[in-house]
Amino acid sequence: MSLGKERPMIEVTSDWYLTLSAILFSIGFLGMMIRKNALIMFMCIELMLNAVNLTFITASNHLGLVDGQIAVFFVLVVAAAEVVVGLAIIVSIFKKQESASVDMLSSSKG
Amino acid sequence: MNELLTNFVTLNASLLSVAISFFLFGYIFLDKFKPLKFELFEWFPDPQIVFEFYLDGLSGVMMVLICTLSLVIQLFSTSYMSKDEKYTKYFEYFNFFVFSMLLLVLSGNFLVMFFGWELVGLSSYLLISFWSEKKSASKAGNKAFILNRIGDFGFLIGLMMILNYFETFNFLSIFENTLKTRPENLDLMILFLLLGAFGKSAQFPLFSWLPDAMEGPTPASALIHAATMVTAGVFMLVRISPLLQFSEIGSITIISLGLLTALISAFAAINQDDIKKVLAYSTISQLGFMFIAIGAGAYVAAIFHLVTHAFFKALLFLGAGAVIHEMHHEQNIYKMGGLRKKMPVTAAMMGIGTLAISGIPPLAGFWSKDEILASVFSKGGIYYGFWALSLLAALMTAFYMGRHWLLIFVKEPSNELDSVNEAPKNMTRPLILLGLFSIFIGFINTPFFHGLEKVLHETLYNVEVTHLPKGITLAVLAFLSIGAGFTGLALAYLIYIFDIFGYFKIKIPFLKQIKKLSKDVLNLNKIGNLIFVKGMKSLSRKVAVSVDGMTIDGFINGVARSFLKSSQQISYSQTGLVRSYVVYFGLFMLALILVFLFSPGVLL
Repeated sequence: MSLGKERPMIEVTSDWYLTLSAILFSIGFLGMMIRKNALIMFMCIELMLNAVNLTFITASNHLGLVDGQIAVFFVLVVAAAEVVVGLAIIVSIFKKQESASVDMLSSSKG
Repeated sequence: MNELLTNFVTLNASLLSVAISFFLFGYIFLDKFKPLKFELFEWFPDPQIVFEFYLDGLSGVMMVLICTLSLVIQLFSTSYMSKDEKYTKYFEYFNFFVFSMLLLVLSGNFLVMFFGWELVGLSSYLLISFWSEKKSASKAGNKAFILNRIGDFGFLIGLMMILNYFETFNFLSIFENTLKTRPENLDLMILFLLLGAFGKSAQFPLFSWLPDAMEGPTPASALIHAATMVTAGVFMLVRISPLLQFSEIGSITIISLGLLTALISAFAAINQDDIKKVLAYSTISQLGFMFIAIGAGAYVAAIFHLVTHAFFKALLFLGAGAVIHEMHHEQNIYKMGGLRKKMPVTAAMMGIGTLAISGIPPLAGFWSKDEILASVFSKGGIYYGFWALSLLAALMTAFYMGRHWLLIFVKEPSNELDSVNEAPKNMTRPLILLGLFSIFIGFINTPFFHGLEKVLHETLYNVEVTHLPKGITLAVLAFLSIGAGFTGLALAYLIYIFDIFGYFKIKIPFLKQIKKLSKDVLNLNKIGNLIFVKGMKSLSRKVAVSVDGMTIDGFINGVARSFLKSSQQISYSQTGLVRSYVVYFGLFMLALILVFLFSPGVLL
């Protein structure tokens, strides 16, 4: 453990978590924009949701309040419900057109 | 209901109303014509308008006149209308008219008066288009109603102005305050009320409905379109004389338009074929005389002429009715002639009426017409001109009435008229009664005995009335007007019986054109048709196309079309690509974040 004493400890501040959260969110958003596969896009949405969850927890920790953690539970519940619905939709899309590409789902364009 | 029951009800009711009217007239006579007021109920609370009646000398004279004439004319009608399918209905309408007219003359304020004013218009319409299965009758009814409506519109505006200035409709409270609260727009108010009087009394711009109104049953024409309803305008103007005397413009308008009407309609009466149309134009002309009198400030003379005219014109109309009845509804006077041998009583009575209207002394028309002419003369100045023209109109009156009587009764008949007999007793008796009135009624107000002036004294107590000239002037004026009457009658005899033009082989230039012009009433009907009916039609068609079709429809359709187009444009932004929506979403979020960052306090 002397190693640790010799080097000054790097403190993991809230900034770190927020930066990580932003990076995760951006990856998720970018994935949403550039991928065609509905399943991948769905995973990107989950990534973005969890990035937001991380922000909530960071804020909760930073401010010493539990409100953020409660919000996270809500998000998790909603996400779980959404997964059920979303996957069912994706399966039916796949059945219909033998592919999960969202670009082919443009029958309601103007 | 059979005819006997109808007769029983209507004649007894009329007899009763005559008795009551004479009783009331006697009552106010004994009270020196102090006005009698009677309030029935409160009509509107603020400003307080009461449904009230008012009986003074003026309304008393009118009341007695209306009740008496309606009884006499209904007696005539029982014979004239017998065997008509709508016999009972005729008397219903007739008595409805009498009720409305009494409401009008006995009203205690302008609103009640307007109520009666509108009801007489309605009953007049019902009686004009009484034989509504005839197209011309229903058209004539519509014409009368619509032209009256124009006048009533003016009257209504006048009433609104009265309420605005005086804050009451009551005659007494308005007339007592005329000096204290002289409204600033008095002239305008008078002119609007005048429009109403001109419509009801068939004066110049609005007179063409009266000749057409002759489509109605003749006895109804006698009462409504000769004796009473058409004089409602004259009555109303005398009623508002305390206001009218302050309006210089109003008086000048009345006298000039009255004179114009008298001349135009006298000219038109000269060459009409229809026995009733001659009398209709004559009525318009005589109403013009009454308006001349009002314009000259001779209110007593106007009412006097109203009374005498009511009797001799009712006589002439009933006489014409008897002739029409015996001629089996032939109304063209050129197809009559020589009827004096077949119908001596009718001929004599109509002769009396003709002499009376021509102003031959001592018959009724002389006294009243001479009083009007003398009053106009005594005003002096420009009124000398008015007097001269009125004298001309009086001469024309004698001329066309002479022609009327001579063509019907004296001229050699052009075809055999064997089936014509004297009218039944129920017709000749009213004629004789009215004939007696036409002879003697003039004596109620002569230069020697001012009876009517005393009756109207209370009504006109703060009104400046033009008085007759005195002595030699009056005698000269009377001589001139008698001369005009005799000249007119003599000319009629010379031209239509003696045929002076044929005898001396005189050719009058443009005679045909003048005759046609007279028959077409100076083409005023055509001009009015052109301006108002055709002009209105083409204008409304243009409005229909440009305003309604292009502007309003264009606007509505344009809005609809623009929504359709713009929504189509906007719908192109819906690409159907989920990923592009994500991009929009991200961009929007970014924009929102930037707004939050750089302008704190804008949204939060």
